[in-house]
Amino acid sequence: MSQVGGQTETSRLEFGSSSSPSSSILLQPMNHPRKKAPESTDAAVPFASSLKLLLLHLICALGLPSAFWVAFNSYSLSLIQNSAQTLLVVWAIEASVVILVYSLLRRNPDQCSNVKAIVRGLLGLLAGALVNALGAIVLGAPVGIQHFTKTIHWSLLMSVFTFVPAASVFGSSWTDWHRIFAQTKPIGSTDFMICFPAHGAVIGAWFGAWPMPLDWERPWQEWPICVTYGAIFGYLLGLVVSFGFVVYNNQRKHAKGE
Amino acid sequence: MRKRANNYYSLTCKKLAFFTVLAVVIQIIGLSLFILGFFPVKPTLSGMSGLESFYPLGFDSTDLAQNTSALPPEKLKSLYQELSGVPPLFDRLILMVIDGLPAEFVIGKDGKPPPEVLKKAMPYTQSILAKGLAVGYHAKAAPPTVTMPRLKAMVSGALGGFLDVATNFNTQAFLDDNLIAQFLRIGWKMVMLGDETWLKLFPDMFARHDGVNSFFVKDTIQVDYNVSRHLTTELSSTDWDLLILHYLGLDHVGHIGGRSSNLMGPKLMEMDEVIKRIHSSIMQTQETKQKRTLLMVVSDHGMTEGGNHGGSSYEETDSLALFVSGQKFSDSESRKEVYQVDMASTLALLFGVPIPKNNIGTVIRDVFTSLKDEQQLRILELNSWQLLRLLQTHLNELGCGRFSCKSERGQNYGPERLCCSYLDATALHESWKSKRLLRSVHGDDYRSAVLGYLEFLGTTSKWLSSRSTDKPIGLLVSGVAALLLSCLGLMTLTFLFTREVNFKGSRDISHTDNNIWKWHLEENFVLAVIFILILSMGSSSMIEEEQYIWHYMTSSLYLILLRKTIQSMKNGCTLTLTAEQRKIRFHHIYYIVAVLVSGRILRGWHQGGVNWSYLPDIAKLLEQAGTAHIKSLQLLSMFLVITICLAVLLSLGLRTRVSMLLVLVYLFPVLLILKQILRLQDSTFGSLSVRSTTMIQIIYAFLGTSSAGILLGTPWLMPLQNPKTLSSEVSHESPSKLPFDGFKDSLCVIGWGYMFSWCLLQMLLQQPINSVPVSLLLLQVVASIHYFSGGNLRHKQWVEVAALYYVGMAGHFGLGNTNTLATVDVAGAFIGISSHSTIISGILMFIITYASPMLALLSTLMSVCANDVRTVSNSQDVDFGYLLKTTVGYPCLVPLGLNSILLLAYTIVLLGMRNHLFIWSVFSPKFLYVCATTVCVYVGVSIVALTATYTCIVFATRSTLKGSCRDRLTER
Repeated sequence: MSQVGGQTETSRLEFGSSSSPSSSILLQPMNHPRKKAPESTDAAVPFASSLKLLLLHLICALGLPSAFWVAFNSYSLSLIQNSAQTLLVVWAIEASVVILVYSLLRRNPDQCSNVKAIVRGLLGLLAGALVNALGAIVLGAPVGIQHFTKTIHWSLLMSVFTFVPAASVFGSSWTDWHRIFAQTKPIGSTDFMICFPAHGAVIGAWFGAWPMPLDWERPWQEWPICVTYGAIFGYLLGLVVSFGFVVYNNQRKHAKGE
Repeated sequence: MRKRANNYYSLTCKKLAFFTVLAVVIQIIGLSLFILGFFPVKPTLSGMSGLESFYPLGFDSTDLAQNTSALPPEKLKSLYQELSGVPPLFDRLILMVIDGLPAEFVIGKDGKPPPEVLKKAMPYTQSILAKGLAVGYHAKAAPPTVTMPRLKAMVSGALGGFLDVATNFNTQAFLDDNLIAQFLRIGWKMVMLGDETWLKLFPDMFARHDGVNSFFVKDTIQVDYNVSRHLTTELSSTDWDLLILHYLGLDHVGHIGGRSSNLMGPKLMEMDEVIKRIHSSIMQTQETKQKRTLLMVVSDHGMTEGGNHGGSSYEETDSLALFVSGQKFSDSESRKEVYQVDMASTLALLFGVPIPKNNIGTVIRDVFTSLKDEQQLRILELNSWQLLRLLQTHLNELGCGRFSCKSERGQNYGPERLCCSYLDATALHESWKSKRLLRSVHGDDYRSAVLGYLEFLGTTSKWLSSRSTDKPIGLLVSGVAALLLSCLGLMTLTFLFTREVNFKGSRDISHTDNNIWKWHLEENFVLAVIFILILSMGSSSMIEEEQYIWHYMTSSLYLILLRKTIQSMKNGCTLTLTAEQRKIRFHHIYYIVAVLVSGRILRGWHQGGVNWSYLPDIAKLLEQAGTAHIKSLQLLSMFLVITICLAVLLSLGLRTRVSMLLVLVYLFPVLLILKQILRLQDSTFGSLSVRSTTMIQIIYAFLGTSSAGILLGTPWLMPLQNPKTLSSEVSHESPSKLPFDGFKDSLCVIGWGYMFSWCLLQMLLQQPINSVPVSLLLLQVVASIHYFSGGNLRHKQWVEVAALYYVGMAGHFGLGNTNTLATVDVAGAFIGISSHSTIISGILMFIITYASPMLALLSTLMSVCANDVRTVSNSQDVDFGYLLKTTVGYPCLVPLGLNSILLLAYTIVLLGMRNHLFIWSVFSPKFLYVCATTVCVYVGVSIVALTATYTCIVFATRSTLKGSCRDRLTER
């Protein structure tokens, strides 16, 4: 444990030095003390041990295949034939996994109970679904009644990938949300774990929509099947990248610590 | 094209303009070369051949032509017979078209009979072939092997160019000389059963018809039953002379399961049964000596192993021509490979009508072997005369006489050789004739005359057909090379320009601004969009569904911009941001949301594309809901356009008097258009009265004069400085900089005038259903300009222009355009035109089709003024050349550059795919659109550049005048 403490110490120093150029770009010298305040509290747990994180990443990643397995074996649902119901099962299982995992990583665990983090995650699920649905529709997702349930379940799944982790961890802290989603400047392992899978899911979904206008007449070209595949692929890739970053950072810290 | 340089301008501005114009000129040359190579223009003869076709070439045929059209059908028919000297071998014709049947299936390949399975599937056909009652040929079809052009080739004997489709856009009817029209002229009664393509090609020519369409490709039974069910009645009735049966089922079988589909056998049996029925009926009528009937079984094209067609492989071009009659065809061991175009001349001569004018085919001699020698020679002669007439249009010369064939026989080539062989053939014919009179005719003389004619016919036919299908690769490559050169030139210019602007900018204003060289996400994305578009060009379905790509990319770009806006709304910054600035930030978000939402509505307005065009969309819903709803929406969108324009005008911050004047200028045309919209409520678009035509012409005149007036007047009347800036900034601005404000404001007002006029024009011209999309487009463009203008988001100007260009292209598809020629609004092109004029309708059609890209290009003029000219006003001296360069540099270079990249990429794609299956159906129409977009960009950019140049010259003159005035005052 003492080693962990040492790591966090160096990481804070590291963070302090790395944050200054980024804030100088923002041209706001006034900003420094205000911006630093929440982040320095955050720095108490920026890099957890690799093993624990591997476990958490694995749980998140394995949630998806197990959800598909449950959908197929218990309800005999497949994404291509019953996309709405399958998505429902998948998002429900993955949401519970993600909310539980990320509520462990919540910010200020002393002031914020686990239950509160879970409730925040559930609220984030709904809000994120709304945002994702609007985004998808703006990008051209069909809006007919026959597509309505599909869109809803798809956006709930996207919300699980993107909004729920951030909501569980940060609550409604605008600075953190802004840092992760608008600026993409993750700091610390939790940030990595929120930021990379979320961006991966969005970018994956964006690319996943590409085959839709092709005239291959394959059943998976329907909305939202290939977009879901893309999002899941991007999410898993994001998890891998995030884990890679965490390990890399830990090793660097390690080397510096010694 | 861009700007006429004044001495006052800096050298770089002149250079920039010069090189841009140079690049554009190279581009035009390259594009013209490519088009010439890609769509070979072949001269065609208009009108129908008549009596003159039975006379040799030099014959004065003016009164004959009049005679032909004046004579009654029966008279004409007998006159034809008399003149031709060849009695018709048959009285009536049954043309049975089996869509997609490869000739291999019936007559085998390489002289071998077809496989046993196929033989068993068509027992009757095989039996009559064996008996000699039928004779079959491989009739090689020319690409594109799709139904309509093949039918045209069969009945006219000509290979139409692709541009035929584009030139007679307003009708699908076949206007060139063809057999059906010739038959109609001699009073034939014609019946058509089957594919309704015939009805589109020859409207009102058939006495009875039952058209089926090939829309339901999955249906292989009903589509043929609908033809065969009439067979009993039609075969028993004797009133028709031509019966066309077009069976689509076999093609559908191919599309579903390919050549070796399980359905193929039964389908062939069904066809065989039909042939049997018809043939036995022919035999009956023959016996009763009523009429001699010829059954011609043909296929329009073959099919690949997988059942597709369209390309030029042997399997696809191997179509059938099978002559079936009651008499035995004489055996002859001559070639069984002919061309599909040969059918027209053969049928014409069999039935005693003139060969269609543009025919390039030669007669199939075997069918005529029952005729006497002189009649056979006469047939060859008639065919030769016709081909020679066509050949002359290619040569642009009077005759073949001027060539000296004897002397340089070996060196002659091309048309000269053709002429010589014609002269040889006629000489042999003449000598045969004279010998026959002297009764000393010899079999060898006859044979040599025939061979002479065949030599001429074969080579000429080949030469003519190569003229119409060959794509000279050299022309194509040189065109692409020129396009590449101009594209590279434009890229280099843009790059140099960016470097210069950035350099000046960083020197002048921003010491804090280190990231002017840094690439932002949205800038990368703008470039990525180009890359993605280029990638998508390689796929035919992406071209068919291009609307998805533009909408997806444009929306994604704006989502990235939204993210960037949110990025700048950092909580920490709130202290330094005043309430005013925060409000502006939120306004930016509203603007982007407006762009995104209207973009989505535009996407949903017309489904567009090809594969999913049947899906419901807003336009279809509204059309179902009825015209009342559409009219109210039209009024609503008119209201929206006026509101947006007034709001923009107010936001310009002009003096009240100026604004009032501008409003007054537009008051009258707006009222007229409103009246027009209300009036049309009762009458349909089809019945435009003379009064409303005059009214529309008045509106055109009003809109034209008001835009021109604003363009000419504003730079002179605009105060040199803005009242707002005058009050706030006069204290710390030196007087020498003041003209810039006036310049900026004038450009703003002119840009506003252009946009408003353009939108009003569109409200008038577009289909009523498109009025809402037009207003949404205006909203998008205005919101984009406002988004990019204010605040310190530091967007680069080229990103703004590129974003506007993308919005324009997305809107192009939002207005219901696709990459097929079918969606061009032809009806709109005749609004307000009192007499038919191809040029004016063409311009109107262009205005309607390119409403959206043009609006985006015109709006760049407004974006110029909304941008801050800080860089300029900080320089010490009034340098108008520099001012002009910085203001319109990007609005000119970016659209030209983007378009040149897309144009170049598409021509390279075309070069690579020139033998692709879909080259005619998908790629070529898209190429026409790409060319038209290029024209649109040229027009838009030159309007922007010329307007800015004019304004600049006026302000330069005004400030010199003012300066000299001041000097004079100080002298006193």
